[in-house]
Amino acid sequence: MVKLQLEIGRQAIQQRLNWLFYPVILIFALFAVRLWELQILQGAEYARLADQNRIRSVQVMAPRGPILDRFGVPLVENRPSLNIVLDREMMKDPAGTADFINQKLGISTEDLAVLLHRGKRAGPFHPIAIKDDVGIEEVSVVEAHKREHPEIQLEPVPRRLYRFGSLAAHVLGYVSSVTEDDLADEVFPGIQSGDVVGRTGVERTYNQCLMGQNGARQVLVDSIGRELGQLDEKAAVIGGDLQLTLDYDLQKQAESLLDDNVGAIVAMDPRNGEILAMADAPSFNPNSFASHISAKDYNELANDPNRPFQNRAIQNTYPPGSIFKLVMAETGLDEGFVDDSTHVVCRGSAVFFDNVFHCWSETGHGYVDLEAAITHSCNIFFYTLGARMGIEPIAKHAEALGFGAATGIDLPGEHVGIMPSPEWKMKTRGEKWFGGETISVAIGQGPIRATPLQVLRAVCAIATDGKLVTPHLLMRAERGPVPDSWPVQQLPIKPESARRIRAGMWGSVNNNGTGHSAALPGLDICGKTGTVQVVSSEHRKEIKTDLSDIQNHAWFCGFANRDDPEIAVVIFLEHGGGGGAAAAPMAQQMFRTYFAKRGHPELSNKGAAGGPGR
Amino acid sequence: MKLDRRLLLNFDWLWFLSLLLLSAAGLAAIWSTTQGTNLSYYVGRQVIYLCISMAVFLVLLYFDYRVYADYITIAYLAGLAILGLVLVVGHTVHANKSWLSLGIFSFQPSELVKVLVIVALAKYYAEVDRDYLELHELVTAGLIVLAPMFLVMLQGDLGTAITFVPLYVGVSFLAGLKRKHVLVLLIAAALVLPAGWMMLKGYQKGRIVAVLNPSSDPHGLGYQPQQSKIAIGSGGFLGKGWKQGTQGQLGFLPARHTDFVFAVFSEERGFVGSITLLGLLLYISVRLLRAAREAKDKIGALIIMGVFSLFFFHILINAGMVLGLVPIAGIPLPFVSAGGSSLLSFYAAMSLGLNVKMRRFVN
Repeated sequence: MVKLQLEIGRQAIQQRLNWLFYPVILIFALFAVRLWELQILQGAEYARLADQNRIRSVQVMAPRGPILDRFGVPLVENRPSLNIVLDREMMKDPAGTADFINQKLGISTEDLAVLLHRGKRAGPFHPIAIKDDVGIEEVSVVEAHKREHPEIQLEPVPRRLYRFGSLAAHVLGYVSSVTEDDLADEVFPGIQSGDVVGRTGVERTYNQCLMGQNGARQVLVDSIGRELGQLDEKAAVIGGDLQLTLDYDLQKQAESLLDDNVGAIVAMDPRNGEILAMADAPSFNPNSFASHISAKDYNELANDPNRPFQNRAIQNTYPPGSIFKLVMAETGLDEGFVDDSTHVVCRGSAVFFDNVFHCWSETGHGYVDLEAAITHSCNIFFYTLGARMGIEPIAKHAEALGFGAATGIDLPGEHVGIMPSPEWKMKTRGEKWFGGETISVAIGQGPIRATPLQVLRAVCAIATDGKLVTPHLLMRAERGPVPDSWPVQQLPIKPESARRIRAGMWGSVNNNGTGHSAALPGLDICGKTGTVQVVSSEHRKEIKTDLSDIQNHAWFCGFANRDDPEIAVVIFLEHGGGGGAAAAPMAQQMFRTYFAKRGHPELSNKGAAGGPGR
Repeated sequence: MKLDRRLLLNFDWLWFLSLLLLSAAGLAAIWSTTQGTNLSYYVGRQVIYLCISMAVFLVLLYFDYRVYADYITIAYLAGLAILGLVLVVGHTVHANKSWLSLGIFSFQPSELVKVLVIVALAKYYAEVDRDYLELHELVTAGLIVLAPMFLVMLQGDLGTAITFVPLYVGVSFLAGLKRKHVLVLLIAAALVLPAGWMMLKGYQKGRIVAVLNPSSDPHGLGYQPQQSKIAIGSGGFLGKGWKQGTQGQLGFLPARHTDFVFAVFSEERGFVGSITLLGLLLYISVRLLRAAREAKDKIGALIIMGVFSLFFFHILINAGMVLGLVPIAGIPLPFVSAGGSSLLSFYAAMSLGLNVKMRRFVN
């Protein structure tokens, strides 16, 4: 009975077992095919992935090149620092990591989200910096939690060190890490996330020369990122040296002269356009950008009404005031409106185009020729000249001397100013030019605007018989790309015209002129003062206030020596008062420092250098 | 008691050798990947487990399998009781409260209960004197399987619980399923699967999603299958050599000595080694199916079918998972993965299979 049952069942069971063979074979075949696919067809690709798993490329940040002054004094160097970075590849528990960052490193979740978003573009293998330039406490926190949080790491990063703080801050500029926008814009060629680039100043202009080449270390790691050994190292290459034309001592002198003033001082070699000093006040400390500047500190600087970020030497424009009389003189001489006999009699005021115009001297200068008009800055002489010439030749010569155009200095963000002319007025205001406006322009007032550097450059052209230089800061760059040459343009200024103007300027400093406070013994300093009325004299009497922002702007621009000029200086003080009283003494100090350093017999002994401050 | 000489002659030595080879391959891979790490004690343990398993294997082989069938009711109930006990006094490993501490060793009773279920199921179906099953028999058998499965689920060990399903399906299939019952089972599965999906924990859902495209999220849930594929793929044709597998050696592979031991083996032994391993597994599968055909009685065939179902399902899921074809589930590769309970239960199960084959001519 039992036997029979079994025989009935056996056939069915055997039939069913036969069916089972095929799917079993099929599934094993499928596995074999999959093994073939993974190990044979894609073997090389997976071998590469496996190598990537254990060989990690760690980027080594290259330090930027140092920046030196013309004598080799290092102005900008690098210092070692540590960043805390998040290696997302190592991150197993994002929530736990976020908590750790939040609680132990004090970074708010919102800030972290911003950082992570910024890092997205960098790719998953690139660690994201979450805290820059950390101190010993934070380093300890990271070290202590290495095991639980291998994704939080310390990365050594060279950081910019501006050795003299705010010294030459506007020239040097500052650096910061590249942003997502930088990577998208391709403003800086070849940058990677995590790189540091120059934002302003020569750091920006010569970013390419200063940036080094990041190195890489190939390290063997295990799955939690512990380094087991180093396979290969490509050393980081430091950026190229950048030597500037700045003279550290002169720069320091310029900054100490400016002190609490608002203004700019620029010193330049008139022969070739090398900037010897470019100081600007108020200033800022670029070291605060080298690590992440806090939003509060940044806003404080950015919203300061005195705009410390602005480089007034090139980024703001002002009426040039009486210094423009030099341009008037050059125009008059070279266009034949002025000859040896040309003179006016100044009685303190005169009428032009039915309006009364005043000289700064209420009693008048009496008989003045061109030289005397420059020496004493007589308005009436130049009003008369302006009225005689009209605006066209003035605009033509001023533009030739660089007014209304960029000087071409190797700094970003230069302003061009305004050289008024009938075309300019028609274009910008849609109005005709009035003769009366020429009178204002003749003494550098009215709508004319120039940067201190433009003024300096024009005066240098007069100092050098018409050589219009391209101001520049670059002396030598270890690595390119840099401009081959700095063009010098010869203007059609007659040497005799230039000589007569210089004679007037020499008198201004050395012959009881308005610039006498700039004089130094043993030097033939030539100069011209300027005092720009912010509010008209009549108006000033009405409001009777000494609020600083209606104070005059003070100018002085000069060079030395008269016959062999090697330094030209412009002083500009915003609401600084009179050019002769406020600006000229600063120029004197600049000349003193310059010539003392170069061993001038009467100045090199600093104790005895109490120049006659007539 | 004297052992029949015919039994020794009929003992399938090749089959047995295949099991030993699998264990040896596993041991080598475990040794390779744990040496010099904090997991190095696994090798020694695995050797001890192997000795214990071998002892149990031989003891179970000694007695006729029909003897076990006679006592299965008591054994089955005892098994359920132990599972219940685990729920009360068991301890937790990886969120699964399925471990029972026996002195220095921990033990997962759920693994051994599978063997009991195989015999219980076989015994119940063997008493059906038709070559197909009626619905009430299917339901009763379902309850036999469901009771321990439910207890294992309560322990939180979903992976092990699921392995009860193929036992039920496989043995029932051999006992004879009516077409309409197949249809009913399929519909039930279709209904249960979405409900089961809802019941799954977040990480379990993620694992399933991760299989579909592991490369999309290398640090999240797709990490394990991706690392596993890298390990296997980078092994190439001949492999990197013993202890040279970087994926396994440097710890990129998770659970490398247990669930992912096949990946470690493949990385070090390459395509040649992997195919050989698959060949051994296929050889044993085919031997089981053959033995079922040749079984002397229905219960013998059914027992072997249970063993086959258990064995093949583990291969299907484990190899599929390691090869990145199916979602990750904590299911070991039979005889190869480190772990005492699973090794013991597979040797016990295989012992039953060899037992049936060995006694196919004996009354």
